[in-house]
Amino acid sequence: MAAAAEAEEEVRQEVEAVASVYGDDCRVVRGFPPHLVVHVRPHTADDSSQQFVELFLGIKASSQYPKAPPHVYAVESKGLDENRQVYLISSIQNKARELSCYPMLVTLCEEAVEMLSNMNHPAGDCPLCLYPLVKENDGSALPFMKLMSCYHCFHSDCIMRWWEWLQNDDTDSKKSSTAATTEVIHASEGLDLSSSAKHHNVSQHKGLCPVCRKVFDEKDIEHVRDLLGANTSQLASLSIDLDEDEKEVLHSESEKIRQEKFASLFNLQQERNGLIEPKKDLSIQPGMYIPRPPSAPTASEGDTVDDSSEDTTTSTSGTEPLNQTNSTGGTTKHNSSSGHRRRHRSHASRRQPHGQGQPARQQWQRKGGDTSHQ
Amino acid sequence: MTSSSSPSRKALSKIACNRLQKELAEWQVSPPSGFKYRVSDNLQRWVIEVTGAAGTLYAGETYQLQVDFPEHYPMEAPQVIFLNPAPMHPHIYSNGHICLDILYDSWSPAMTVSSVCISILSMLSSSPAKQRPQDNDRYVRNCRNGRSPKETRWWFHDDKV
Repeated sequence: MAAAAEAEEEVRQEVEAVASVYGDDCRVVRGFPPHLVVHVRPHTADDSSQQFVELFLGIKASSQYPKAPPHVYAVESKGLDENRQVYLISSIQNKARELSCYPMLVTLCEEAVEMLSNMNHPAGDCPLCLYPLVKENDGSALPFMKLMSCYHCFHSDCIMRWWEWLQNDDTDSKKSSTAATTEVIHASEGLDLSSSAKHHNVSQHKGLCPVCRKVFDEKDIEHVRDLLGANTSQLASLSIDLDEDEKEVLHSESEKIRQEKFASLFNLQQERNGLIEPKKDLSIQPGMYIPRPPSAPTASEGDTVDDSSEDTTTSTSGTEPLNQTNSTGGTTKHNSSSGHRRRHRSHASRRQPHGQGQPARQQWQRKGGDTSHQ
Repeated sequence: MTSSSSPSRKALSKIACNRLQKELAEWQVSPPSGFKYRVSDNLQRWVIEVTGAAGTLYAGETYQLQVDFPEHYPMEAPQVIFLNPAPMHPHIYSNGHICLDILYDSWSPAMTVSSVCISILSMLSSSPAKQRPQDNDRYVRNCRNGRSPKETRWWFHDDKV
């Protein structure tokens, strides 16, 4: 009896040890027989942007512990496909069997951390284009991003294209009440506000992950936008659904506001030399001549002008990049005629708001004054 | 009858083309079981044979699905209908239209033809009775001008079948 009590006391102390090592990441479901759920993360030096997998590891022991190894299971995981999760759990279970008779709770958790660190890369294909996120042989890839809420990864370009599509779709469905889908939901407190307010406030949107439909924060997307600095390619993809019958959407209030937001973001990026030229539809072949876009002079000119003439600069530099893309499109016309057409249309349409002259510009200023999106 | 004359469709975008070629290649490596892609050179319209799963009301029966892809697939859902004759099912109208949320409001660009097919087969397999939807006649009458099911405002109330 005394021996049993002593053994129990030892196990309780071991549980306490785990709890003190893992702190908030350890939840003790039951002290004896031990039942723990430990939040296990790979070693990333606390850089969450470098973390692609995580696991809530359940360890449930019987009163025979440590003679009988505990049962190990996954409570929840992120970023792990089924194969990897099965492999991970069965390896830890094997480790538990090996360590029978010894206190092993901390060791099992450490094993999980080690294994997760080795698995800390996104697996498989981008769910949107179905091409690999990371190419296995050379490790090269298009830039990709991860949603922080569920760790699903996408090519940055792919998720941005989808996001822009949703924004357009949302505007669209507000105009004509077709049963159009928008997987965009409003934040609960903003619900009445955003539907009644004239200004269609994009920042009140949250999205649903295309894979698991878990709600994610728009910040995830904004982050990608900042990283890519890809406003030029966005402008091109913005108008992918531009038709004769959809043109009215472009003249709508919310669309104008949105376009102006992009235009101002674009200018900011350009001033900071943060622009990366779109490379999506451009297939570079040996010996091909790629003209250097004449962007630098405009940007420096923009720096020197004073405040009073700033709005003129805004409108010229707003259309400037489209001329560039257009000329790039011209060189690749032979191998992507649809891409060229799309750019061409975007060029024409994007000019319309500016083409209206004074009112559009005034509105841009007003918008810039009362909201601070950046 | 099967409203196969879809309204003047636009050609697939480059992105849609790439994605569909990839889907087709993957389909050819591992097609979902119970389905057979009918070879054609039209990437924008797939015709797929479905065979009812063993042990269900549709065991051994074969039907044909027609999948039409919009210009901006996969941002937009494909249009999926059964070709005549459509299976008798409480969610399948006699004109081939299918009342299934993922084809309309719940579409997500992470879904594929393959995953849609599996959903449809699962819908067939869980059918309690071979019957038409209650409002079949009214609905089909309203669609006589060759309307696409994507223009229908669907109510999805039954999550059991």
